[in-house]
Amino acid sequence: MPFNKNNMKKYTQLFFGILACTLLSACDNPLDLNDPQSINNELALSSDQNVKLVLVGAYDALSNGDLFGGNVLRNAELLAANGEIRFTGTFPEPDEIFAKETGTSNANVSNFWYRSYRTINIANNVLGALAVVNEEDRDEVEGEALFLRGLSYFELVKLFAKPYSFGSPSERDAVPIVLTATNGLDERTTAERNTVAEVYAQIIDDLTRSASLLVTSENQASRATKESALAVLSRVYLQIGDYAKARDAADAVISSNKNYALNGSIADAFNGGTTNEDVFNIAISLVDGVNNMQLFYAAKTFDGRAEIEITQKHLDLYEVDDERLDLFYVDGTTGVTRTGKWVNKYGNVKIIRLAEMYLTRAEANNRLGTTVGATPADDVNRIRTRVGLTPLDVVTLDNILNERRLELVHEGQRLHDVKRLKETITEGGTEYTYDNNFLVFPVPQRERNVNKNLSQNDGYTNN
Amino acid sequence: MSKILPLLTGMLLLCTICTIAQTREISGRVTGQDDGSSLPGVNVVVKSTNEGTVTDSNGNFRLAVSGTNITLVFSFIGYEGQEIAVENKSVIDVAMKADITQLGEVVVVGYGTQLKQDVTGNVASVSGTAINNIPVNSFEQALQGRAAGVLVTAQNGKLGQGINVQVRGSSSISAGNQPLYVIDGMIVNSNNLSGTTSSTNPMSDINFNDIQSIEILKDASAAAIYGARASNGVVLVTTKRGQSGKTNITVGMQYGSSKPTNNRDFLNSEQYIELYREAAVNRDLASGFDPVNNPGDYPGSFLEDIEGTFDYLAGDTDWRALENNTNWEKEAFQKAGLFNFDISASGGNEKTKFYFNGGYTDQDGILIGNSFERFTGRLNLDHKVNNRLSFGTNINIARTTNNRVADDRQFSSPLQLVAQSPLTPVRDKSGILFDDDFNPAMFYYPATMELENSRFVTSVNRNIVALNAKYALTKDLSVIAEYGIDLLTQNEDRFQNSKTEVGRAVNGYGRSAWAQVFNQTSRVYLNYFKQVNLHSFDLTGGMDYQTTTIDRTRAEAQNYPLDGLTTLSSAADPILTTGSFTKEIFLSYYARANYKFNNRYLLSLSGRYDGSSKFGTDNQFGFFPAVSAGWIISEESFFNATNTLSFLKLRSSYGITGNADIGNYIAQGVFAPEAYDGSSGLSTDRIPNPDLRWEKTLQFDLGLDLAFFNDKLSVQLDYYNKQTNDLLLNREITGVTGFQQLYGNVGSLENTGIEAAVNYAIVRNEDISWKVGFNYARNRNKVLQLDGDNDIIDPSSTRFMNVVKVGQPIGVFYGAEYAGVDPANGNALWFVNEGVEGETTSIYAEAKKVVLGTPTPTTVYGFNMDLVYKGFDLSILFQGVAGNKIFNAAGAFMSANARFEDNQTIDQLRRWQNPGDITDVPQARLFRNNGAQISSRALTDGDYLRLKTITLGYSLPASLLSKISLTSARLYVTGQNLLTFTKYEGWDPEVNTDYTSDTSYFLGNDFYSAPQAKNLIVGIKVGF
Repeated sequence: MPFNKNNMKKYTQLFFGILACTLLSACDNPLDLNDPQSINNELALSSDQNVKLVLVGAYDALSNGDLFGGNVLRNAELLAANGEIRFTGTFPEPDEIFAKETGTSNANVSNFWYRSYRTINIANNVLGALAVVNEEDRDEVEGEALFLRGLSYFELVKLFAKPYSFGSPSERDAVPIVLTATNGLDERTTAERNTVAEVYAQIIDDLTRSASLLVTSENQASRATKESALAVLSRVYLQIGDYAKARDAADAVISSNKNYALNGSIADAFNGGTTNEDVFNIAISLVDGVNNMQLFYAAKTFDGRAEIEITQKHLDLYEVDDERLDLFYVDGTTGVTRTGKWVNKYGNVKIIRLAEMYLTRAEANNRLGTTVGATPADDVNRIRTRVGLTPLDVVTLDNILNERRLELVHEGQRLHDVKRLKETITEGGTEYTYDNNFLVFPVPQRERNVNKNLSQNDGYTNN
Repeated sequence: MSKILPLLTGMLLLCTICTIAQTREISGRVTGQDDGSSLPGVNVVVKSTNEGTVTDSNGNFRLAVSGTNITLVFSFIGYEGQEIAVENKSVIDVAMKADITQLGEVVVVGYGTQLKQDVTGNVASVSGTAINNIPVNSFEQALQGRAAGVLVTAQNGKLGQGINVQVRGSSSISAGNQPLYVIDGMIVNSNNLSGTTSSTNPMSDINFNDIQSIEILKDASAAAIYGARASNGVVLVTTKRGQSGKTNITVGMQYGSSKPTNNRDFLNSEQYIELYREAAVNRDLASGFDPVNNPGDYPGSFLEDIEGTFDYLAGDTDWRALENNTNWEKEAFQKAGLFNFDISASGGNEKTKFYFNGGYTDQDGILIGNSFERFTGRLNLDHKVNNRLSFGTNINIARTTNNRVADDRQFSSPLQLVAQSPLTPVRDKSGILFDDDFNPAMFYYPATMELENSRFVTSVNRNIVALNAKYALTKDLSVIAEYGIDLLTQNEDRFQNSKTEVGRAVNGYGRSAWAQVFNQTSRVYLNYFKQVNLHSFDLTGGMDYQTTTIDRTRAEAQNYPLDGLTTLSSAADPILTTGSFTKEIFLSYYARANYKFNNRYLLSLSGRYDGSSKFGTDNQFGFFPAVSAGWIISEESFFNATNTLSFLKLRSSYGITGNADIGNYIAQGVFAPEAYDGSSGLSTDRIPNPDLRWEKTLQFDLGLDLAFFNDKLSVQLDYYNKQTNDLLLNREITGVTGFQQLYGNVGSLENTGIEAAVNYAIVRNEDISWKVGFNYARNRNKVLQLDGDNDIIDPSSTRFMNVVKVGQPIGVFYGAEYAGVDPANGNALWFVNEGVEGETTSIYAEAKKVVLGTPTPTTVYGFNMDLVYKGFDLSILFQGVAGNKIFNAAGAFMSANARFEDNQTIDQLRRWQNPGDITDVPQARLFRNNGAQISSRALTDGDYLRLKTITLGYSLPASLLSKISLTSARLYVTGQNLLTFTKYEGWDPEVNTDYTSDTSYFLGNDFYSAPQAKNLIVGIKVGF
């Protein structure tokens, strides 16, 4: 385009055209953008459908690797190792827990704290938005949210406070209780720790209400049911030594209409999806979820880290015919023994099995001299005969507790049984009594940095 | 300090009042002595008065003078001044001689250029010639040691990885700390796009042979025109443009090789067996067994255990006969070659000018499996339609392919091979690789296996294209419109077959992660330049509208039936498809006014009104003004210019800049999608914060520019103080809320420092030119306040010690202080640091955490020398840092007195053995942690001085060139990182593991991090 006066004009127009475009593009406040990946708080809690999605989100939170995706069970096992398992891994966090030298900065511990409260907060969001849930589903949604909250507080109180069986529960610090959704930084940021008694009262309230609200007929062990709420309640009552209620809760699970049944072989109870034996589990699939029990326990052949070995001391506890011994395998790489309970990366994490309910009912009946549901011997023998052991005519409390220890081993229960039974854990010559300071986690330093009102547990220095 | 400022400004304004007398007229023309061309803009002043003018575009001037004995002073930047007595002449023509110093240089500033002498802010300028042909991966690395106050640190020696650039210290904790990168006026993508924790570097797509100059805007005055994003400084890159005249074609080629700057010594087989046997026996003795002297104690002993371990580790060799001794460190490195080819053509005529370049780089990393390849093309075109209208374009395309290796934290990272035992051969006798599973003789999965059975390639296509047009509305006023895009498309393609650690349980694993970043800027601004007598005005103002979208898609699959078929479609099980889309918008208005009077009084006002979509709806806009003033004292009549002190300028600036480098949408409270048990769900993600606003930095700068010996020696001195308030702090909040962090504007920090740059042209004549330069900067970084009464951000790591603590620099090492070894029993000791001074404990938990040092150097310096003698040229650059510490986080494994089976550094042989031994390495105790907890034990001084670059070249003489029809030919040899002086015992003191590159204050850590490369290249450059 040769330059002349006319073209000059065109250029000028072009110029101001660009100028105008630039200015125009800025006219309808373009700076207000919304995140295409997420929806804002008000919207998330505004409809029946959305609140139900948030409830699913709470399960997802519960299934985190730091919680029931595995570490809650793993950490309890490491603390109660008793020379029966050995941690040989390189991550410092589980190593500290195994050594019972948990640092106040241990990331597994601070994540356990935070992730638990995250689950509680999502549950609180659901509980605060029940009004928009369809009336016919409201009880179900509320019951599930209460279950998730109660279960989360139960794990927190067991690991951040001395056992209920020790001293006076109403005088010892547990964890802060928060019952409403977080919408900003309010008084909860300076909350003090509630007492062990207060936290237990809250847990019992949540789970009792949950059990009465939930009426689901089908067995969906990866979601909360009336029975899963009752099963957790039976654990809670065992911890506080209320055997009658523990018995009744366990009995209610066993005698429910859910067709619970022990699998023919104990091996079938693990490394897969939900079975009739499952009262509650965490769903894992190819596309979603983590199974940290498998990650730490399984041999490398099973894509595990192969960091927890089973020692001879543990294997010596079984009777020779016990088919539970067949669950163990020798790791071809290192030659050490590992448990077969956790070898499938995509298997659900089994949290409560029917077998535990039998053993709880047996123990409580035995202690109370009752036979609610069945005799203690019948209950224990159901467990024994499944694994090829001869039935016992008469069972003692010791028989029951021994059976419980072997049946539920490597499932995260031993530590809590030690604590309620006031037993002792021995590790490399050192004895840890049930009330030992280091069988309780420290309150994470990061929490104490941001909330000066949080006290520290005994035995942990201020750092 | 702020009180000085108005005073200074007022003083300068007063001086602008001048008187004008009238009598006779003198005219003349000023030309350059070298080529006789006319010189516009030359100052013509009547000596000892304020009367004067400047020459017009043809070099002509007209001046009315009165009185007798008048002398005219002619001065012009880049030329030596002249004084001419008028006597009774009415026409005075002057030929001015070019000056050799740099004060006359033009420097690029935001939205324009300025004469260096007139700059009142602080701008560090690095010429393209200083960095072209340097064998580094990305141009920021070539800036090391070149600019005062600019700290450049590569994460490690992996090619294509992120580079940390700090201008005048860190000014943010949670928001970005990297400068803004502007290439030919366009703000480009410089953010990490890596899908793993180790960051990648989008700036490595730039061919730095295209670079004409790099300017680093350091103070508020220089940077405020980029307002909201200028707190961390601004790096302006200007690419080469054509000149009218003959077409110059240049071809350059380089060939070279790289190797690690340093090696670290590990135990050999004999030492390994000795130390680990001892570690096992120590455990046995502690449990009351003595398997050495009582054979009955052997079964079940630790000694039996470790000897069994040796059997396992030795594979098919006999460790008792010391049959094998693998140097695993050597296995991690490869012979690395480097090849560069570059062709450029430039030229044009009065109307059209062009610069073209095509470049190719193929570089191997020193680590096995690491390489980087880059193709680039550039066309810069300028066309002048007429005296009023001109337009131009810059078109840059690039394709890079980076063969990456695993992150430092992965077993499969090459340098983690050093953890393997020397007893283990690389392969068994039939040639099959040993590993931890298929052919097991290891505890850790080895990189050797990963390398042969996997692929991890990041490929990037990059287009940076800009169009601009300039139209002169009047002689003094022009409008400039620009539109530019930066389109970056990246694929991270990864495949790990069924033999790899990731792939073995799932029968092969594949992943493809695509990201597309589209950044576009449209801009209109006006430039007004007017010179009236001795007053000179330079005004700039306009607006920018910039949008950036990032679109990501990722797919993962597993179960590959055949290892030979490795694309996602070959997999039986797709396991993940995910994607995201984010957008950010900046809307900005800016203006700058530069005023100069009589070539000696300078005043500059600038500001930017910036809006960003990132902030809360209540606070989207921020205003960022700056003011600066300068006084060229040496131009004053009272200043008796001597040869010794030939130039003196005092300048000062004060202003506010901002930082918006945080994630998109974080001010909004949202739920994010999650799934559980096959159902979709929503989980809490962020707490809303509609008040979230800009992080602001107030910066004061006081500078002095001096020149001595006819400007041969120039000195630039600066003092600065940067106060950053309203920190965009991702503050820690109690987990009881269900969240751990929440962005808020809380806290403040400060950077205070001094900078000095000295350049001395020692000799310059036809045969010889000898220049030296030195730059030095010292910065003190201090966190003033965090959230409320919380004085620390401690991320609770059990592997690293960095925290943010009030009263300390960002990222200080904070932990237990190691006190050595108890001579009585070999226990590791720490200082209690509470109560009795000097008290020690063997219980780690009893040691109170204390501040142990800073990871960021407090002093950064560089020294360079350029010598040209006849055809030979020699340039040398030394660069160094001081004041920092380095933490070897891998020490917990490699220098842990035989705690795990990991091979140990050779210094672990000085372990405690017998009561009374005085040493700093505790007793070896197999599987027991005796002193490997994180503490100052693994902390060492990080100071270093490095011979960064040395180049020796020879240019063929013109007489010879004409015979072979060449215009130029130069052969050269360049060495990079040839010498490093440091006390650091690790591989290389320039380190910050990619393990933690996602947390800005995790600095100064070594974790199996690759050292820098030592390069030696030969090159040739020929002009036609």
